[in-house]
Amino acid sequence: MQGLNILLQPNVFMQLTINGVAMGMIYALMAMGLILLIRAIGVMNFAQGELLMLGAFITWGLTYQVKLPFVLMIPAAMLCFAFVGVVFMFVAYWPLRTASYPTATVISTMGAAMVIREIATITWGSLPLVSAPLVKGVVRVGSLRLQYQYLLTIAIGAVLIFLVFVLFEKLYAGRIMQAAAQDKYAAELLGIPTVLTTAATYIIVVTLASVGGYMIAPVFLVNVTLGTLQLRAFAGVVTGGFGSVKGAIVGSLFIGLVESYSSTFTTTYKDAVVFLVLIVVLLFRPQGLFGERVADKA
Amino acid sequence: MLKIANLHAYYGSIEALKGIDIEIAPGVVTCLIGSNGAGKTTLLKAISGMIRRTGSIVFDERNELIGESPTRIARRSIVHVPEGRHIFPGLSVEENLEVGTIAWHGFFGRKPYETEKRSVFDLFPRLEERRGQLGWSLSGGEQQMLAIGRALMARPKLLMLDEPSMGLAPVIVSDLFRKIVEINKLGIPILLVEQNARLALEISDFAYVLDQGRVRIEGKAKDLRTDPRVQEAYLGRFAGKTQPN
Repeated sequence: MQGLNILLQPNVFMQLTINGVAMGMIYALMAMGLILLIRAIGVMNFAQGELLMLGAFITWGLTYQVKLPFVLMIPAAMLCFAFVGVVFMFVAYWPLRTASYPTATVISTMGAAMVIREIATITWGSLPLVSAPLVKGVVRVGSLRLQYQYLLTIAIGAVLIFLVFVLFEKLYAGRIMQAAAQDKYAAELLGIPTVLTTAATYIIVVTLASVGGYMIAPVFLVNVTLGTLQLRAFAGVVTGGFGSVKGAIVGSLFIGLVESYSSTFTTTYKDAVVFLVLIVVLLFRPQGLFGERVADKA
Repeated sequence: MLKIANLHAYYGSIEALKGIDIEIAPGVVTCLIGSNGAGKTTLLKAISGMIRRTGSIVFDERNELIGESPTRIARRSIVHVPEGRHIFPGLSVEENLEVGTIAWHGFFGRKPYETEKRSVFDLFPRLEERRGQLGWSLSGGEQQMLAIGRALMARPKLLMLDEPSMGLAPVIVSDLFRKIVEINKLGIPILLVEQNARLALEISDFAYVLDQGRVRIEGKAKDLRTDPRVQEAYLGRFAGKTQPN
């Protein structure tokens, strides 16, 4: 149990906690998007990881190819994310929304994942690209060394999550989007433009995932394989309990921490540890950590 | 205020309305009665733009609704309360009401809607008591009140109610119908679709009887109440015979 001894050293433990929370934030950004889409249009998006990957490439391209300064890069990237969101919606979802085989919209997200992967490979090549951290260096707290990039990831993740909550819980527009997600038929009868609310949802989902990609780019390299992080987001969603945004966030943070702590025991089987934990959660609490807040009334 | 001429409506290739002519006068309650599958709900959907239709629906003597989207029609303050209520289950009573204002509020901005909310709460005090409760947790009667209240938030110029009595206990239904009359007294014209023909004819001024996608009988509600054809087919009374059990 040498791994446990290492993990329990206060410094190591703190370090791994920060790393874990940072990674958990990235997963949470993806997981929130998954839930928002499931709620709004009932589609499980299997291209979520690819959207994160595309976000990393887009921001890399704008920074190192277009050579935009940071203050211009951010708004330009936001516009690109919104564009990707709208294209994604009108190509992968809109034509199929009335298909007689409802799963068609889910399968088309798998197709979209392949297309995005190929587009990225053709545009940027298959070699990993290096991206500098937003702020270089480390913070020293006592004998603790914390990378700025991780702290920034946590902060930006928290801000985005907060903004999404404000939108949906406090703003009129968010209320309208919730209504459209809950009952499209009634929403249309009241005059809610459901095309707009759906497009807005897609834009939010793509932006969340893409910002995740941007934040993670300096940690991993910018590479088409970033798409595989999607599995962590799925694990987060399932652990948190399907259908709850809060659950997805907590679940994702949990997955991030498990992954981080497990690195003192094994680095080779990190993926296996995450899914082992997932299986254990499913065995003992199959409904996830949080239940759904909407129930059906007979 | 709403003039429908030669209206045909389709579910895919099936023709559900086969040439309907109806006129809705301002300020009155008009009801559509008829058996299952007669086309009553279809007619409401055709007005609110939810299905494919041809012919002519003229609103306020100048706006042709055929070819307009449901969103556009809702913005004209024609509000359709659908069969089965369709309230938003995960929103609270108050939030459900707020969403009802979208037709005139617009997606962004912050126009006040306190006056509308106040008058809905005055009409249905029960909703005020339950203002924070989630939609799904309400009883059937409360859900129907909420659906109608939500429609009133839209400042309706025409209120279309589809089967408001469905699945409700008789005592709740008569209470609800009193409220419908009250709403009409505020000057809001109502188009009511109802299976319960007796009740509908009681509160209506004018009535149409639909059968297989066509208007069979039309006239003043009080005349139709005594019309032997209506009595026989829809009021469960066999003209000139004793009623079998």
